[in-house]
Amino acid sequence: MASDPVLKITNVSRTFGAIQALKEANFEINEGEIMGLVGENGAGKSTLVKIISGFDPGFKGSYQLNGKEVKFDTPSKAEESGIAIAQQELSLIPNMSVAENIFLTGAKVKKFATLNTLSKMARPYLDEVGLTDIDPSTRINLLSVGEQHLVEVARLISREAKILILDEPTAALGELESRRILEMVQRLAKNGKSIIYVSHRLDEIFKITKRITILRDGVSQGVQETKDIDVNKLVEIMLGRELANMFPSRADHISLESKIEVKDLWPDGVLEPVSFSAYQGEILGLSGQLGSGAGEVLASIAGALKSRSGSLTLNGETFLPKSPSQAIKKKIAYCSSDRKKDGLFLGRPIFENLTSPALDTISKFGFNFGSTEDSYAKNLAQEFLIDVKRVYDESGLLSGGNQQKVALGKWLSIKPDVLLVNEPTRGVDVGAKSEIYQRMRELAARGITIIFASTDIQEITYLPDRVITFYRGMMIDEHRLEQIKTPVILKEITDPFNETNL
Amino acid sequence: MTTITQDNKSPFSSKFLQFYKDRTLLAILLSLFAVMFVYGIFFTDNYLTITNFKAIIRDAALYGIMAIGLTFVTLSGNFFLLSLKETASICGVTFAMGMATGFGSPDLVGNFLVSLLAALSVGVLSGVIQGYFVGMGGNPIVVTLGGAGILYGIGAWWSDNLVINFKRPHDAEWLGTGSFLGLPSITLAFILIAIAAELVLRHTNFGRKVYLVGANKAAGRATGHENFSMAIIVFTICSVCCAFVAVAFVAQMDSAQSNYFSAEFGSSGDMTILVIATVMVGGNSIMGGYGSTLRTSLGAIFIAMVDNMMVLQGFNSGPRIVGVGLMIVFSIIVFGLFAKGSRAQE
Repeated sequence: MASDPVLKITNVSRTFGAIQALKEANFEINEGEIMGLVGENGAGKSTLVKIISGFDPGFKGSYQLNGKEVKFDTPSKAEESGIAIAQQELSLIPNMSVAENIFLTGAKVKKFATLNTLSKMARPYLDEVGLTDIDPSTRINLLSVGEQHLVEVARLISREAKILILDEPTAALGELESRRILEMVQRLAKNGKSIIYVSHRLDEIFKITKRITILRDGVSQGVQETKDIDVNKLVEIMLGRELANMFPSRADHISLESKIEVKDLWPDGVLEPVSFSAYQGEILGLSGQLGSGAGEVLASIAGALKSRSGSLTLNGETFLPKSPSQAIKKKIAYCSSDRKKDGLFLGRPIFENLTSPALDTISKFGFNFGSTEDSYAKNLAQEFLIDVKRVYDESGLLSGGNQQKVALGKWLSIKPDVLLVNEPTRGVDVGAKSEIYQRMRELAARGITIIFASTDIQEITYLPDRVITFYRGMMIDEHRLEQIKTPVILKEITDPFNETNL
Repeated sequence: MTTITQDNKSPFSSKFLQFYKDRTLLAILLSLFAVMFVYGIFFTDNYLTITNFKAIIRDAALYGIMAIGLTFVTLSGNFFLLSLKETASICGVTFAMGMATGFGSPDLVGNFLVSLLAALSVGVLSGVIQGYFVGMGGNPIVVTLGGAGILYGIGAWWSDNLVINFKRPHDAEWLGTGSFLGLPSITLAFILIAIAAELVLRHTNFGRKVYLVGANKAAGRATGHENFSMAIIVFTICSVCCAFVAVAFVAQMDSAQSNYFSAEFGSSGDMTILVIATVMVGGNSIMGGYGSTLRTSLGAIFIAMVDNMMVLQGFNSGPRIVGVGLMIVFSIIVFGLFAKGSRAQE
């Protein structure tokens, strides 16, 4: 590049307890450039973004802005230096006007200002982000989510942000709105702003960025010129070749003996009723991005999410569970994606977590004097490679990977016929990931039908015997065994109808 | 805790650590006891007498039993039953009505069993209804505050706000003022209920579910333990405890009035606050999932000890209420600090 980068980060590392979120990350961005930042879940993207925007001062390494070494203790200090972040969760106040939200902090505003003056002041910023047709006195909650994102960016610009970080701005948006965001990004870059664009949607990355920084396991994999690279190469760098070995080998064939039939299931977040079946002893992957409906389908099979219609057929019985406890009685286990929220009893010991779904089987007449439970819990721990010595410890003290093993392992206590797993390895280190995949494969070999939903493309490509793809609440396609190919699936979960003309 | 079986694989240190962590709060409480005790011996007259200690435990028994009931509510993450004294009030009125009037039928006048069952049924009913609304997702504070108004109102309405007297000798004397084996019956009841409650919490599925649901409602639902039935059961347990205490108290006074538990009761005047204080001083987590009824029982005795000492030193009720308030603040600080160190971060 001709000019010096405006922001340059070299050899940055960050550890949280035992977990090393960033090992050796380098990052730079030039003036007026759109830099893509990609990496799989847990690769360290969000950590890097937090460091850049001043949310996380506890890192090691060098952070240079305009050639000078800087250190931001708080996000507001970073903002003063012109670095602003638009997060996925918007920080707008829904029942205040657009103009009021833009000048929320009151900087540059007179002590007394009417809505009218604020509206006039807000106008140029709104124009800049492409909201020319929006009246600044409109209340925020009357705008669409995409427009709200644009307002958020307008607010950042109003505070003279030079470097904008957009963290998954299109994750919750439809196609048209996403396009507005992309247009805005390009317009801002033309006006000389530097934009760090974080996204899982590789099509967008290829469409708008000039260069791409790829993170893998906390290490930056060098900067790539967008024009020199294609999707396959990018995914390869993102995943790393050797990582393919962490997956156990597939079953050699799919048993066609249907174990569970899902018929016309229609939970919220899914556009049309969904029907499919899963076979005895297979691992079925539901692939789709956030909001694609894959996770919702899984949750509604388990009774954790209400379905408008439909039924399940399992072991000759047809039913639709209305609550998780009904599903558990039918031997359907569901491990949710958010273990901190509803997967674990963090304050309770590990053995209590492990036996929590199966209290009735370990007790006699409702009484539980320990020894049965003790051996039960220890067996489960052993099976799931959890340190048996630690079963009396609070589960909250475990690392993310071990927590996930407990969250998943506890379901073996009910001897399930069908095991549903939403995001089996979210926030889990590579070693534990591999162990979890091994265990899932062993369970399948034992005859348990496993259905999992994942946004992790690598997991979806290598783990399951069959994949069903979802896109924005619709079921798109099904692939089996050797036909499961990363580019095909990526295409189907990001842009199955050729809307973006990639 | 379940009994830890002795096998060579689990190292002593890890077990010891767990034991130590779990018992530290108790150790704090016990050392406070010791301090109070020593102070009492040296600086208070008539302190070190058997009669005085019996009096302490007897004082602790009444609100201790209610606090044990409330501990189930708090442990299960349903915060507090704020209608404690109102539940006791209406149950007391019911019992006294039964003893004095037989609910309108002359044959039943003075029939202890019928009166007792009537009072307990009122307790069960109010517990089930309040538990139902909380289980449906109602905020426990709002629901039980509303319940408090309604229960108190009905009791006052029914009794015309009058004192209902029933004359001695009556069939409830053994409970109110009687004693067995040298201990007042209410003290015995307190000890038996405390042991039973602790056994239920430690060694039954229900007890485990109380802890699990209290630790994480969402995870409880996901593993098949809904807060709906849990809320109904724990609020019923708590209300029945209130009803039992009300019966014992009314049997002791030979009379009942709807505001007995607001004005004439115990040291701090207000029953609800005293019972909540007991649960807090015992070191139970307000958010649920952590604590035990044993702690609550010790908390009750501790408060009674402090109160007793202040009485013997000639304080009247104002400073004693301040004392109870200070104990709550102190215990929250101590246990809060300790919990911060021991619980997992995040």
